[in-house]
Amino acid sequence: MAATNLNTVRATIEARLATELLKAPPIPVVFHNMAYEPTPGSSWVQCLTTFGANEYLSQGGTTDSQNRIFGLVVFNIFTAPGAGPGANYTIGKRIRDLYNRVNVSGVFFDAPTGPEALASPAPEGYFQTQVRVTFESIEGL
Amino acid sequence: MAILRGEQGSVQFDAAGSTNATIVGTRSWSLTTTKETLDVTDHGDTFRSFVGSLISGSGTVELVYDPDATGQAGFLEDVLTTADPADATFELFTTGSTSGSDSISFAGIITDMEISSTVGELVVVSCNFITSGAITGNLE
Repeated sequence: MAATNLNTVRATIEARLATELLKAPPIPVVFHNMAYEPTPGSSWVQCLTTFGANEYLSQGGTTDSQNRIFGLVVFNIFTAPGAGPGANYTIGKRIRDLYNRVNVSGVFFDAPTGPEALASPAPEGYFQTQVRVTFESIEGL
Repeated sequence: MAILRGEQGSVQFDAAGSTNATIVGTRSWSLTTTKETLDVTDHGDTFRSFVGSLISGSGTVELVYDPDATGQAGFLEDVLTTADPADATFELFTTGSTSGSDSISFAGIITDMEISSTVGELVVVSCNFITSGAITGNLE
């Protein structure tokens, strides 16, 4: 086996979301290090994938061995302010269902947290909730 | 100085005792070697004296279960061997996987196999074994 390409893992996670949010009703999605100027009052999603601390899983040095790779995906969901949470939570359900305990290409997603409403949305002028999903992948060397 | 870390170790095994192969996915191993003693104290002695007697060993190998991992199935299922002639061979390495180097080797019998599956955790397998015959140390 070969070392895990974390960029491939990231692409797998993001492609899954991009494909889902292209379906009707389509919702713009923006990822790390991408410029985006949202239309005021519109709905959109920010997806941030981060890799965290990893750990040894098995013995074996640099061959015949395995590591455990952990990560976190944060979804910030923005919808129009003053219109109640329904539209936002509908998007949240779509995202939550997309990752909830799913195993995609060797990436195991845990039970999602949220959507949690944020008191101080960033950027301002939206109703913002957040869905967080931890995941792990087994790296075989 | 060459202090070792656990992840440098490995386990090799062959159920038929011919050619050992690395078991992929081993998480830990342990071996306890015990030497019995015989009391050779004479009448009139004021201190007890002993000589070493029979030597035996037992231990555990823990695996992260992967049905596709090289060597795992043969290792786990050796506990099902009936009328086990103790022909399986083990080599436990503190580092690397070069036979006869930084290792302890012996023939043995797997006496227990426990596989556990728990929500939120990896499926792990623990096998206990006893040695049979000579235990060869190459730990220098």
